[in-house]
Amino acid sequence: MAEDYDVLVVGAGLAGMRAALAAQQAGCTVAIVSKVYPVRSHSNAAQGGINAALDEADSWESHAYDTVKGSDYLGDQDAIELLAREAPAAIIELEHMGVVFSRDEQGRLGSRNFGGASHARTYFVGDFTGQALLHVLYEQLVRSGIMTFSEHFVTRLVHDDDGRVSGALGLDMRSGERRMWTAKAVILATGGMGRVYEPSTNALICTGDGMAIAYRAGAPLMDMEMVQFHPTTLKSNGALISESARGEGAYLLNRDGERFMQTTAPHAMELASRDVVSRAEQIEINEGRGVDGCVLLDVRHLGAAKIMERLPQIRALALEFAGADMITDPVPIRPGMHYEMGGIKTDVHGATPLPGLFAAGECACVSVHGANRLGANSLLETVVFGRRAGEAAAAYATERGPVRRSPSLLDDESRLLNLLLARPDGIRPAALRQEMGQTMTVDVGVFRQAETLRAAQAALVEMRERFARVSVGDKGRVFNQALVSVLELDFMLDLALAVVAGALAREESRGAHTRVDFPRRDDAHWMRHTLAFHTPGGPRMETMPVAVTRWQPTERVY
Amino acid sequence: MKTAFYPGCVAKGGAPELYRSVRLVSEPLGITPVELMDAACTGAGVLTERNPLLADAINARTFAMAERSGLPIMTICSTCTGTMLECNLRLQDPAYRGRVNELLAPEGLEYRGTTEIRHLLWILVEEIGLERLGALVRRPLQGLRVAPFYGCYIVRPSNRVSADHPDRDHYLEAVIACLGATAVEYEGARKCCGFPITTMNRTNALRMTGKHVAEAKDQGADVMVTPCPLCHLELDGQQSEASGVLGRPLGLPVLHLPQLLGLALGFSAEQLGLRSHLVHVGDLVGK
Amino acid sequence: MDVPDYGTVLDALLAIREGVDETLTLRCSCRSHICGSCVMKINHRSALACKTKLQAAQERAGSGHPIVVQPAGNMPVIKDLVVDLEGLWSKVRAVDPYLQPTGPVPEREYIVSNEAMLNVREATACILCGACMSECTVLEVDDRFLGPAPLAKAWRFTEDPRDGADRARLEALSQPGGVWDCTHCFQCVEVCPKDVRPMDRILELRRRAMAEGFTDNNGSRHSQAFVDSIGSTGWLDETRVAMRSTAGLRELRGWVGVGWRSFVRGKVPLRHRPIPGAMHVRAIFQRAAANDPPRQVRRREQ
Repeated sequence: MAEDYDVLVVGAGLAGMRAALAAQQAGCTVAIVSKVYPVRSHSNAAQGGINAALDEADSWESHAYDTVKGSDYLGDQDAIELLAREAPAAIIELEHMGVVFSRDEQGRLGSRNFGGASHARTYFVGDFTGQALLHVLYEQLVRSGIMTFSEHFVTRLVHDDDGRVSGALGLDMRSGERRMWTAKAVILATGGMGRVYEPSTNALICTGDGMAIAYRAGAPLMDMEMVQFHPTTLKSNGALISESARGEGAYLLNRDGERFMQTTAPHAMELASRDVVSRAEQIEINEGRGVDGCVLLDVRHLGAAKIMERLPQIRALALEFAGADMITDPVPIRPGMHYEMGGIKTDVHGATPLPGLFAAGECACVSVHGANRLGANSLLETVVFGRRAGEAAAAYATERGPVRRSPSLLDDESRLLNLLLARPDGIRPAALRQEMGQTMTVDVGVFRQAETLRAAQAALVEMRERFARVSVGDKGRVFNQALVSVLELDFMLDLALAVVAGALAREESRGAHTRVDFPRRDDAHWMRHTLAFHTPGGPRMETMPVAVTRWQPTERVY
Repeated sequence: MKTAFYPGCVAKGGAPELYRSVRLVSEPLGITPVELMDAACTGAGVLTERNPLLADAINARTFAMAERSGLPIMTICSTCTGTMLECNLRLQDPAYRGRVNELLAPEGLEYRGTTEIRHLLWILVEEIGLERLGALVRRPLQGLRVAPFYGCYIVRPSNRVSADHPDRDHYLEAVIACLGATAVEYEGARKCCGFPITTMNRTNALRMTGKHVAEAKDQGADVMVTPCPLCHLELDGQQSEASGVLGRPLGLPVLHLPQLLGLALGFSAEQLGLRSHLVHVGDLVGK
Repeated sequence: MDVPDYGTVLDALLAIREGVDETLTLRCSCRSHICGSCVMKINHRSALACKTKLQAAQERAGSGHPIVVQPAGNMPVIKDLVVDLEGLWSKVRAVDPYLQPTGPVPEREYIVSNEAMLNVREATACILCGACMSECTVLEVDDRFLGPAPLAKAWRFTEDPRDGADRARLEALSQPGGVWDCTHCFQCVEVCPKDVRPMDRILELRRRAMAEGFTDNNGSRHSQAFVDSIGSTGWLDETRVAMRSTAGLRELRGWVGVGWRSFVRGKVPLRHRPIPGAMHVRAIFQRAAANDPPRQVRRREQ
């Protein structure tokens, strides 16, 4: 089956839905394709809030500066300025759409403190801000009547003869039917690739599909080595304890009950940026001052009432998966893979170097997060750059003439999938995925060095070869999740190699990327982005300069 | 044990046989029911739905009367029980109780929040005990296959109803076994009978009724037993209509809990008013 | 299988899928009960697999008994534990689930109290997992009922001081398939993994719909007759309530059979005597009505 639209959006999280709404508002016919129902998207998991300089005592410049500093000067300052300038309007828009943001005594929007921020500019809905936003965007999507293909999995992009992206191929998961969507512009908003690591705070659906699809189609992936390790994840299952816990005043303690952030960040303490806190924790743990491979997160001094009002979901999670009631006990936590700062390279309009292809949200790299993302800037990025990408894609689609359909491509893709299904019994994909994830965690984690990175690279290359013998354990058509998980693993292996290539290339320590063998930030050589291009022999690396508008790099002190 | 007996509207109205059989079985069970003659209807959730403060006040009035006598309330209706528990829970907040007490003051009543609410079923298991109950059985209901039907309010919400007694949703089975009968397992035992929407959406109510009765019958039940007279009004009273909606004959007799108890304790079908049900009750003890 | 002691039913199912049978099909994603994907029946009760500890499930099943896992109820099964959710989505769409503000759009945020937002927030915690739909006793017999989650969603808008469409919403919800079709069985309250208490929302919608004058339905008539009966005599006059609850003679005809058979068996009381303290009950009704707190949190502060 084939469908024609002006704009096709892949992914129905916050960025995807915001982009779709913007494109429709600009007069385009729009469809969204998502491998899950929109409200199941991983935007749900953002607990803490969304940043904006809304307060009169705050300024967009301050927000932008904090973001630049947080990014360890790797963020593109033109993009960061846009992000901070457009943030207040984005929050107000969400509020008008129906988000039930917390209020202050005057009935105005109330904010909370967050890591790396010099002002309390994080607006929130309890500790389920992402879910609240996602469901409100879904409500708007329902209102818009935009065609939504839920539980459809996109496998590759389609090009015109002149090289412009003109749609996508995929699979209706429910029927097993192959599908093609023809479009004048495609926006990828497929989120992160956390499952490349094991464990990760990310949902099981975060397999970087959009990044891999764009990468294979020729779009470069930027700064993939910048992987954020969140300072507070549970040991048992890697679940995330939101930064809002620290925003509300939580302490981080080592085995001896010391607030060890005193040494690393005497001013910001627990609210230093995530890379700084995660490194400090890992040092405590590595040097034997941890508790069973963890440090402790302590909110007891906040009292039961505040914990129940402000952090109810977090308390429930800790109770469930760590057996600790935060009202009475500290919770053991450790750094865990959380977010990919890098992604498909885009400009401030969400346009990738491939004509007709746009990207927004975690799968994209504008770059506003640089080497380290500040908490509560990711939700902001999704709505600001989701909208911008939607508008830009709509403008592009409006100018572009009709797109020719290529039905033969659908048959080709069908044949490929059938070949995959027909592979004889071989390696189970789950085992290979585990191996990849653990390799990434051990060798491409908080601390990195050339030797282990090379070992990881070799291991991944070998896994890539072994992937040829992976088989699909379900031969049926209806809801074949085994097939989807093999396709996802295929994507993730490409991405893992891109992360390692970036990590090897960047011979310095900046933000989340800490090279033990290059412990200093090297502004002379590395105020540059890494770019990975897909080739059959592995990633080909290039670099390009960071956009600096008004803030020259200086030492980062929290 | 002495209890402040709250019969509820149906036992005093449309199901006089229930009232009669509770009175009958009390003596051998060692329960002295001191009837709360001036208690009002709990509101059965309808009042709460309209105005929670009003529902709480009407029930606090009943609780205050029981409190004055120092006795726990004994109920014989799942719905009365659940409604009372809900109100009583809200009335544990002293400030709120104060507000409610202002409404009671002109009658000279005050509720201090100490009254306990116990359904007869809970008294059987938790106070009298299954062992003693078993010893009281004169006529074991050997061979009788009994389908328990609880009524929503006596099992849900579980955090309110059975926080301290997690097995309360299995008491009927235990009692049935204790009386020598066999409890029949079927899907609908803890579902809604349909009564609450019988005037709003009769077809749906009848579908529910029919479904539960048919399931119980398919599992070989000879009789159904319920601790809730509202469920009884539906399951017995509407059964022939339900059979029409379902398009299959049903004809499963439905007893009130005290009637089943009464049979095992040796009372006759006449004494227990078994002939007053709309679905004909045959000879159960001869089974 | 090797599943750690903090493990959930989802962990166990994934271990089976990855290690034993790759065709085992179930929806799941976040593993931390926020995405709502993995609702299923576990030991005959609807729950999120990622929120159900394996140990607890085993305890409930009884030692030596297998934990029973089944697809969610009231929805057609597509494959294994995957059910067709279209019913849920279409009913969510049916309640116009988006804010409909009236009046001029403010330049900044709407000014509303935190209490009002906290009130609405309780229902916005709903993740549309469908556990309530799976367990709803009405949906079991009638799929035209909107169901708990969509109605809780509707409640969220009628309670939102920024929304201007409450009257239209309440009118629509008073139609067949709406709030009056709920049986008040608590199943949705019992199984909701987010403590949204959909049934309580439905009951509040009824109250508000009646207050707005949408009373031309059996539900409202029943409610009014019931309340009147207690208010005047202290207890329930079943016969009168039943008669006043129906829409008219045609509908009453359907009750003649039951009525007659009940009458013959002495189950229709000929007289309804007030309780001794009926006057006190009446007085409480009057005082409580005067004392009924106005809806403090609802209206937008101007």
